[in-house]
Amino acid sequence: MASIILITLKGIFRDRVFQGIMVTALAFLLIPVIASLSMRQVTELSLTLSLSMISFILLLLSVFLGGTSLWKDIERRYTSSVLGLPLSRQRYLLGRFGGTALFVMIAAVVLGAAAFAVVLYSSAIYPPERPVIWSTMGLCILFDALKYILLIAVAFFFSTVSTSFFLPVFGTISIFLAGGVTQQVYEYLRSPASKSLSPVVKQIAAGLYYLLPNFGAFDFKVNAIYGLPLHVEGLLLTLAYFVVYVGILLSISAAIFIRREMR
Amino acid sequence: MRGTLSSALVCILLYGILIIPFTTYLRNKPFLEKLGYVPSVTALKSVAADHKEMVAASLVMKVLMYFGGLSEKSQESQVVIPPDYKAMSRLLHGAVKLDPYNMDAYYFAQAFLTWDVKQYKIANDLLIYGMKYRTWDWYLPFFAGFNSAFFLKEYEAAARYYQRAGELSGSDLSRLLAGRYMQESGQTELAINYLSVMMNGEKNPALKKNYQLRLTAFREARRIELARERYREVKGAMPATVEQLVSGGFLSPPPMDPYGGEFYLEADGKVSTTSKYAFAGVKNHKK
Repeated sequence: MASIILITLKGIFRDRVFQGIMVTALAFLLIPVIASLSMRQVTELSLTLSLSMISFILLLLSVFLGGTSLWKDIERRYTSSVLGLPLSRQRYLLGRFGGTALFVMIAAVVLGAAAFAVVLYSSAIYPPERPVIWSTMGLCILFDALKYILLIAVAFFFSTVSTSFFLPVFGTISIFLAGGVTQQVYEYLRSPASKSLSPVVKQIAAGLYYLLPNFGAFDFKVNAIYGLPLHVEGLLLTLAYFVVYVGILLSISAAIFIRREMR
Repeated sequence: MRGTLSSALVCILLYGILIIPFTTYLRNKPFLEKLGYVPSVTALKSVAADHKEMVAASLVMKVLMYFGGLSEKSQESQVVIPPDYKAMSRLLHGAVKLDPYNMDAYYFAQAFLTWDVKQYKIANDLLIYGMKYRTWDWYLPFFAGFNSAFFLKEYEAAARYYQRAGELSGSDLSRLLAGRYMQESGQTELAINYLSVMMNGEKNPALKKNYQLRLTAFREARRIELARERYREVKGAMPATVEQLVSGGFLSPPPMDPYGGEFYLEADGKVSTTSKYAFAGVKNHKK
């Protein structure tokens, strides 16, 4: 499986995805200039823009790499030759997933380093009212990466059930958007404002809340930007949620992939 | 090959012809269109996904750019449309719903909602909302305290806010609690104090200029107040007009209102200006 991970990683680098990220990351150079337009929170704005940019790049990576990895292999008939080797389909799937996830992690580390440099520069020129808590910033980026690895698992799940490129890509984007608001919807349902809703709608919404991945839980941007304290218990629970949810998705994906007929 | 090249040249030529009217159109687009309409915050929250803080910051930036552009025009003596304060307020309110920690939004709302729009209650409500989140920030209670004392004349609430600001800043802000500020007679000094703090911390040129002007106006008003007191001590009676102070040698040089208004003494001796410390005030007065 390690070799599949390595091959996947090499493949992504060969496709010049990393160079693409580096070119996009040049936009980091503009962040201090844009942030200096802020009246009272230059460093905070630098952090906001840096973290949003990392999040956006990781989103593109996870949707496109996650959504096209299996599809490309099947389309190129690469799978049939690889699966002829003494390698189980599960291991192949997990290897592909592991390689893509590892690449997203590497990208997060590199982009995170750029963000650290940008924020360090901004905070040196415009010292913030509250000092930047670097560990919170690091954790925020780490959990962002985990969120997108979870999204890759969603993309892989769609790839195993679909024969085209569209379902994995657009399905993943839809799940990403829906997963970002489930918490809000759930809180609304529990508030008195939702009294007028019919019980059926409420139950469907509550069902979706438990079914869809809760991406809101991985968002610690506000803590990183304004130096708000993080709660260890919350972080551990989110981490456990990540492990379990990815486990479920990969298990179902593997079960489908084993039964799938290859051309 | 030649065909492709000539079509590319034609397209570049067309682009050259089009770009000038296109940019002129965008530059002159009505301000309301420029500020745009904010869809419901709930909808924005959903679409913003995990970029709420960035969307909030971009809303604030939009308002700031819009206001900065208007200030620039007024300095270049171009025809100036009054800022669309309602749209500005709507955008800033939307911004703090998305990111309740965004200081720029509170700060900028305080800057225009009070002096220019006179919506003191809305300004204070927004500040109270912000205080729930930015629990460490002394600026918010400092603003609310000033609004309460200067505009709303709610001295009890003002004392409470200033107390909080003093505790949070750990500085000598509590001196603002001095009794003389908490009454009508100390208002000019209170404003000078507030404006000095605001101006010193300001790096946005458009806002800094605004504070500078207002501070100059209040310093002039303070000069008149001091001259009025000297007049009363010497003559044993209140002066009726500012001219009396100037001609009697109590006030030199004559006061100048940077907003173009004229200072006058109210019946109870209070110093006022026809501009009401705003350019808009002069226009209204002239009407």
